[in-house]
Amino acid sequence: MAVTPTAALVQTLNGIQFGFILFMIASGLTVILGILDVLNLAHGELFSLGAYTAIGVFGFIIGIIGPPGGGVVGTAVFILAVLAAVLVTAAILLPVGTLFEAVFLRQIYDRDQVYQLVLTFALLLILLDVKKFIWGDSSIRTDAVYSAINAIPTSELVGLNYPTYNVFVILVGSAVVVGLFWFFERTKTGRIIRATAIDREMATAIGVSTDRVFTLVFALGAFLAGFAGAMAVPPTAATLEMGTNPLVLSFVVIVIGGLGSLRGAFVGALLVGVIRSWMITLYPPGEIAAPFAIMALILLVKPEGLFGTWGETA
Amino acid sequence: MPERVDRDGTPAYRFLGVEVTRREAAFLVLGILFLFVIPDIASLSDSLQLSVIHQGLLFGFAAVGLNLLLRHTKLTSFGHAAFFGTGAYATAVLARYAGVQSVGLLLLGAIAAATVMAAIIGVLSLRHTGLYFALLTLAFGQLLYAIALGQSALGGSDGLPIRPGPANQPLLFGTAFSPDVYQVLTYYLTVVVILIGLFVMYRITQSPFRNALDAIGQERTRARFIGLPVRRYVWAAFVISGIYGGVAGGLYAVVRQYVRPEGTLFFLRSGDILFMAILGGFRTLVGPLIGGVVLVFLQDVGQDVTQYYEFLTGVVLLILVYGFPRGIVGSLRSGGIVNTRLSELRREPSVLSTWSRNAVQSIERKVAESLTSLRIILFGVD
Repeated sequence: MAVTPTAALVQTLNGIQFGFILFMIASGLTVILGILDVLNLAHGELFSLGAYTAIGVFGFIIGIIGPPGGGVVGTAVFILAVLAAVLVTAAILLPVGTLFEAVFLRQIYDRDQVYQLVLTFALLLILLDVKKFIWGDSSIRTDAVYSAINAIPTSELVGLNYPTYNVFVILVGSAVVVGLFWFFERTKTGRIIRATAIDREMATAIGVSTDRVFTLVFALGAFLAGFAGAMAVPPTAATLEMGTNPLVLSFVVIVIGGLGSLRGAFVGALLVGVIRSWMITLYPPGEIAAPFAIMALILLVKPEGLFGTWGETA
Repeated sequence: MPERVDRDGTPAYRFLGVEVTRREAAFLVLGILFLFVIPDIASLSDSLQLSVIHQGLLFGFAAVGLNLLLRHTKLTSFGHAAFFGTGAYATAVLARYAGVQSVGLLLLGAIAAATVMAAIIGVLSLRHTGLYFALLTLAFGQLLYAIALGQSALGGSDGLPIRPGPANQPLLFGTAFSPDVYQVLTYYLTVVVILIGLFVMYRITQSPFRNALDAIGQERTRARFIGLPVRRYVWAAFVISGIYGGVAGGLYAVVRQYVRPEGTLFFLRSGDILFMAILGGFRTLVGPLIGGVVLVFLQDVGQDVTQYYEFLTGVVLLILVYGFPRGIVGSLRSGGIVNTRLSELRREPSVLSTWSRNAVQSIERKVAESLTSLRIILFGVD
């Protein structure tokens, strides 16, 4: 099959867009993993909880401001509405994460790792049925609302036909990336978190409350997962199983990037996103297997991951 | 013949290398007898289905294999469904594309495939320990799931039927049986395989190999310094545990005569297998098996009672993690939490009110704590 430059560009953009979503999930997971030393299996469920909540919140907002209007003002109002829905969703996920950490996780940090896995697995199962209880068994489609966004021709300016919502995701995703790096590099809280990650005892000695840092980190992870879910939902439908695939893919991303490395998660996410997207046109059956193939390859060459130093090797 | 030996002052018997006291021997005989009469018990009652118990035993058997890693090397594999699924799919492929009809040959195929798979995944993931290892096994398991879903030769999400030859079923002793008889016969086959498997596992856990694994689990670096080939030993344990999964998967395929990716390879099945080991008690030999039966039974009953049976399982898991970390068998043992609590209760029944008061208080404390954390996160430190 001949691949035109435009098609290749569109596929790459799709991959980058998916990569940003993946980064938002994987960054939450990797921060929790790096600092709390807990592999949060319920992370994918937080992601899909974000998606479901976003649909509800967005529907509510649209109900207030009415259907998307035309013109520059209508467009701006509409995009602001989406953004507001995403932020509200993420803000709802924040207390959920706090409760999880404070009520469930805090008691078992000093136990065998297997109990942490079983606990987060239990939370996964519980969240799964909570979603089923609230939103029912069938999937929820949202294309009717979001196709209105895609009708706005932003990319026509450069002579390319590309869905506006994807551009929106890429822009917001970039903002999140910049924000996260700024948070961890420049702010005091970010430095405290990094200090706790590097040496827990020393951090306690200089007056850092590890309890609070842990709660904050887990809440941040849940926030990011919910944010990603809210951003990811429009092009597809929200289904009960939607948490699984991103969860496993973000494991792959973390392994590729290196445990606990935010930079690694970013590079890994874009790599997985783009290659997966290319595979869809080049060799469709390879779409699912490609990320794992990259992972296996990197493990053979560089077992600690691209940027990782914390992975225990033996 | 059994030979009398002395174990810490209590008379014990040794037979085929298994050393038991009289009490344990009674439990053992009763347990084996119970396993053999289950089909008769199941035929008496509608609520107890042989297929459910059978499935529980098979998954539990895979959990027994997983337990070798979990208990001694302290490695948490979250992808053990990979071997279960490999065994099941190897059986299905042999039956469908090679026309193999004999159950024995099908199981051999399952063992071979699972061994190869465990060897490969082991080499790739055993460079790491801890969470990295759990993550890698999970990812590899999910890769196999993706392959089974994506390959049309493997039937995609519909899976593969196992109905070789004119008899449309795998043959036991070269003979075809009616479905009812086939079900009971394969159950007995499972029981025999499980008994052999438990015996082998018992011998492994009595051997120097187990001590080496224990040493590796406690402190890898030191184990290497005293001259243990750490990587090779752990790899051997991984392959052995994979074989248990493969046997269980092969039997599952023979029994169900159908394999689907969802039921055998999906990562929730890996979670189930891990959970079974914990539920039954992963510091014991038969714990995972009992955990398997209990979990599958729970899910089956749960499915009949409510559509929210995952929630039910999750809550049981939570209770387990906080209340009974030693699992069913571990808690029921003498000195376990159940016996201790029961004897306390017998001595002083009023202790019950203290327990419930403590429980309520601890829940209240947790809620207050989390509200404080929430306030701090939202509004900053006061």
